[in-house]
Amino acid sequence: MKRLLGMFLPFAACVCLLSGCWSKKELTDLAFVIAVGLDKTEDGKYLASFQVVNPGNVAGATQRGGGAAGVPVSIYTSTGDSLVEASRKASEKVSRLLYYAHTNLVVVGEELAREGLDGVFDAMERSQQFRTTARLVIARGHSAKDTLSVLTPIDKISANQIIRTLEFSEMAWGQTINVDVWWAIRGIASPGRNPVITGVSIEGGLKKGKRQENVQSSVPDARVTLNGLALFKNGRLIGWADGPTARGMMWVLDRIHQTNLTIPWEGKQEAIGYRATRAKTNVEARVNNGRPSISVHIKAEGDISEARVPINLADAGVVFRLEQELERNVKQEITKAIETAQREKTDIFGFGDAVHRAAPRLWKKIEKEWHDRYFPELDVTVTADLYIRRTGLRNKPYIEE
Amino acid sequence: MLFQWGMRRQKKQMNDGVQQEGDDHSGEVADVPQEPMSAELAVNIDIIRRATGESDDVVIRRFSLGQETQMKAAIVFVDGLVDEKNVYEFLLMPLLTTSFPLALEEKERFQWIEKKLAAVGGVKHVTEWKQLFFELFSGATVMLIDGVPFAISASTKGGQYRSIEEPQTQIAIRGPREGFTESLRTNTAMIRRRIKNPNLWLETMQIGTVTQTDVAIMYVKGIANDEIIEEVKTRLRRIDIDSVLESGYIEQLIEDQTFTTFPTTYHTERPDIVAANLLEGRVAIFVEGTPFVLVAPALFIQFFQAVEDYYARFDIATALRFLRVLIFFISLVAPAIYIAATTFHQEMIPTQLVIAIAAQREAVPFPAFVEALMMEVTFEVLREAGVRLPRAVGQAVSIVGALVIGQAAVEAGFVSSAMVIVVSITAIASFATPSFAIAISARLIRFGLMFLAAMFGFYGIMMGILVMTIHLCSLRSFGVPYMSPLAPFTPSNIGDTLFRVPTWMFRERPHLISQKNIVRQSGDQKPQPPAPSRQEKGDES
Repeated sequence: MKRLLGMFLPFAACVCLLSGCWSKKELTDLAFVIAVGLDKTEDGKYLASFQVVNPGNVAGATQRGGGAAGVPVSIYTSTGDSLVEASRKASEKVSRLLYYAHTNLVVVGEELAREGLDGVFDAMERSQQFRTTARLVIARGHSAKDTLSVLTPIDKISANQIIRTLEFSEMAWGQTINVDVWWAIRGIASPGRNPVITGVSIEGGLKKGKRQENVQSSVPDARVTLNGLALFKNGRLIGWADGPTARGMMWVLDRIHQTNLTIPWEGKQEAIGYRATRAKTNVEARVNNGRPSISVHIKAEGDISEARVPINLADAGVVFRLEQELERNVKQEITKAIETAQREKTDIFGFGDAVHRAAPRLWKKIEKEWHDRYFPELDVTVTADLYIRRTGLRNKPYIEE
Repeated sequence: MLFQWGMRRQKKQMNDGVQQEGDDHSGEVADVPQEPMSAELAVNIDIIRRATGESDDVVIRRFSLGQETQMKAAIVFVDGLVDEKNVYEFLLMPLLTTSFPLALEEKERFQWIEKKLAAVGGVKHVTEWKQLFFELFSGATVMLIDGVPFAISASTKGGQYRSIEEPQTQIAIRGPREGFTESLRTNTAMIRRRIKNPNLWLETMQIGTVTQTDVAIMYVKGIANDEIIEEVKTRLRRIDIDSVLESGYIEQLIEDQTFTTFPTTYHTERPDIVAANLLEGRVAIFVEGTPFVLVAPALFIQFFQAVEDYYARFDIATALRFLRVLIFFISLVAPAIYIAATTFHQEMIPTQLVIAIAAQREAVPFPAFVEALMMEVTFEVLREAGVRLPRAVGQAVSIVGALVIGQAAVEAGFVSSAMVIVVSITAIASFATPSFAIAISARLIRFGLMFLAAMFGFYGIMMGILVMTIHLCSLRSFGVPYMSPLAPFTPSNIGDTLFRVPTWMFRERPHLISQKNIVRQSGDQKPQPPAPSRQEKGDES
């Protein structure tokens, strides 16, 4: 027994020691790619931009390194026939191993988006490192590379800036959508739903935006800002929706968390502000005589956030009329959003999926022609129940008649 | 190491042939006179003188018995081991002053002395030199009379011992403040005081051919399992060693498994812990000259049970148990996880954190493993220095240490500040483990896990922990599975493992230790508010 063990142990030790730190990679050997930008070059190749963190220059790194003067991120670009090729080729320029496990943002240039995203995400979904929970945005009016090169204040890494803006804007305002690569892939793959993706554009001069001075000013020369929703059809960008139309889409998608509505009161425009604090949307499909129809029901609660006309909010009747006015307002927004989508012949709301759930057999028949034939003529009923729960810290406004 | 084993085996074979020749390894006191005790006082005294090398502390006081007779006699005792007041007042004084009945025969005089004079307890006849010397060095006073070929010894134990103090280890906020001392008798008395029951049995033997150290085993007859008692005795009897200076000698000779980092006997300085363990059916081994008492069998979970768990209410005790198991794991794996996460599994660290760690590591020239090893070794050095140094210097060490492993190392770019945090957490965790014995084993295993983490990442850590768990499950302590009552699973004992149930639910003793007498207390002891009296009931309705 002992002899056997004595023979076995050296071999076991060899297995441990000779394999030696297999696949070990030190932190200082890695280039953390925090965001990936995708564009198309003129000769039809992919132009990939990698926003790589320069750890020594990120705030919070108290130790020495590059010193605080340097920029927190650096952009590397490379071209290739495929994404993976471009990524591998980038190693000619980067002194470290590109590491994608912490890639939290994917920016797609508008041009590439208009050509089609069909095959783009496969490499991301297939890779062991890449996470499909990375946020996805479309660079509106610029290339993805330019969008990533703008330096931002507060969140030093501009990818983080975009991600957090996406998160908080959806939560507070609701005209942009915070989606990840996974959602886009599902949208592209599903026959009953097309994806919508938030657009990002650059305000101000791009050239200055790339320099460190940009973040040394209280009013930066260039800012990255969320701008509208990109509508997709068959994996191609076909149009943009902005403002209330975009919010209408968000209502239907049940992605409104909080938002602010302004409604007229007794002839005065923008008189009353309403802050929705809780919202829930139900989408239901019905089939009548082989014709599908959709009913959308919105339920929201909120407070009065502003009253710029004399109004007696203690009066239940007044509050009731206010609620009705709000409901009309929301319905209008939603109807407009649905009409826009129908005009573009793209079902971004997932009504197709709802029909699929309600009438699977019928769906099989109409699936192929859903977006082009059935969806544009779809009968959509919108109902809304909005409640005013509180009036804020005041009851009567200080303006008297 | 394998090579050494081989060598040893060969040597043993060679030795076997020669062994009969001179087996004097035991170092038995060669000078003990072989001849029988003489009837002549002068001869006997001479023998004692010669055997002890005329040591100054062996006091020999010659005198004449009584006032009338001229019978020569002597008392012999070792200065410092006896209570001198006892010797002079109750032994020497009566012998000198009483008038002796002359009619008595010489031999009967001893009996007479024994019966009438020696006003001390524990009087024995001694006929052999070996026994005489043992008695003498155990603190007895030996009395010799001319013309009598034997002696009597009277128990006059005394001398200076450290008094009972608060224990230095296993400190409790609530609980008795007294700790064991170096005196075996004081220690056993402390247990007697706690368990006033004739079933508390004590057996004493001498171990150590040169030191003749008193070793006592104590158990509660009827609760302790006879097989375990017998096993303990057998293992103690098997010991053939020249000296026993601390209970650690005994521990290492009777434990089940030498090649393990886990302790299979428990040692403590607190009498309340020993008493509690005796009542659970365990056996305590006291060793003269050390305040550390061994308790066997010891279970893994026992090392996480602080004495205060039983004095505090069960909710906080349960919370602390969980905390301690967590602490044990932290002290085991924290540096290993740091190494694995930063060299293999960067994807598992949150983005912000990985960038922050990367920023710190930017200036560090070593791989994470070397960095961690360096810091851990530095810490171990500091700890060792802190323990061994005189108290006054220890302060300086801790200040220098704080600077070395803290700020200076980080500023010099040797290590990252994240590593300092990891090492500090590990250090604090290993201090917070209630039993020092288990903290040491975690300390050793930690380095093994660090190697595994550096080679295989989390996979290596998992393998290491699996091997450790399998090893733990294979251990036995005096025949009792080390991991019981978790594995094998004993549902009725589970209340005192990872959590502690309220005291009224402690119905049963550990099944595998005390196998027959397992019921500890009656059930249905849950405290309840008194039932409302009839009058109150009436008021309510």
